[in-house]
Amino acid sequence: MQVDRGATGLGLQSEINITPLVDVVLVLLIIFMVVVPLAMKGYDVETPQTSVQAVPTPADDVQVVLSIVPTACPMLEPQVGDGIPKSCRVSLGEQEIPATDLPARVAAVMGGRPKDKRVLFLLADDRLNYEGVLRIVDLAKLKVNDMTIEIIAAN
Amino acid sequence: MQLGEPGRLQSAINITPLVDVVLVLLIIFMVVAPHMRQGAGPDVDMPATATPPEQAADRARILVTIDEHGSLWIDDKPIAAEGLGDGLRAAAATEPDTKIVIKGDARLPFGEVRKTMVAIELAGFHGVGLIAEHAGTATRGG
Repeated sequence: MQVDRGATGLGLQSEINITPLVDVVLVLLIIFMVVVPLAMKGYDVETPQTSVQAVPTPADDVQVVLSIVPTACPMLEPQVGDGIPKSCRVSLGEQEIPATDLPARVAAVMGGRPKDKRVLFLLADDRLNYEGVLRIVDLAKLKVNDMTIEIIAAN
Repeated sequence: MQLGEPGRLQSAINITPLVDVVLVLLIIFMVVAPHMRQGAGPDVDMPATATPPEQAADRARILVTIDEHGSLWIDDKPIAAEGLGDGLRAAAATEPDTKIVIKGDARLPFGEVRKTMVAIELAGFHGVGLIAEHAGTATRGG
């Protein structure tokens, strides 16, 4: 059975010790996996269809418009830090409410509707900061799933 | 000296295949990572929000980047505002059900982004994604 004792018999180790290599590579791999955010994140929004025949709005559904104007919500400058200004007030339907109440209020309005009727129209002033508007969209979507956001313009 | 030696038993696990797999994974991640971070296109300050939902990856995507001056890119090609619609139609020619994703700079006024959305709608694409990042992981320099 003993064939080739060769180098082994002399106690010499002929193989390269790759354990440190494996350690380093595994650590690198883990670092890359953690650092790379895998999926793109963002909000899906719609703009109203421009073709003429594509506007059959059922009359029995009340359209809910969320409007943001700079006089009630001072967000003209680029945002500093996270969140929105504390004084920010927005209009949901006919009512003016603090922006921080949005998750609960939108959920109350949209919660009972079937998925295809959960449409929130967003009317934001063009001068408002983009990031600020997205943060308000984030608040509005917080407690409602599968809600469509339609971006509309004032004119 | 070693007791196992005379029997010629190999007691060590053969980790060569493991190393192969891990190395290949590592290389894949290193190659793909820059593309995954923000998609293609120039770096902009992405808007940071509290709970941005993940974008579904079920459709092909074209990324439209708007930098802080309002300049536009389709993926990594700069494009004039008037040429956006044609550029998008050309880019989506092979894949009609393409989703347009807007990566707008956080400092832009909302109107700038809305104008681009209207141009995209007019070009025949319905619905866009507005890219944001999680506020906790914002990598904003100054």
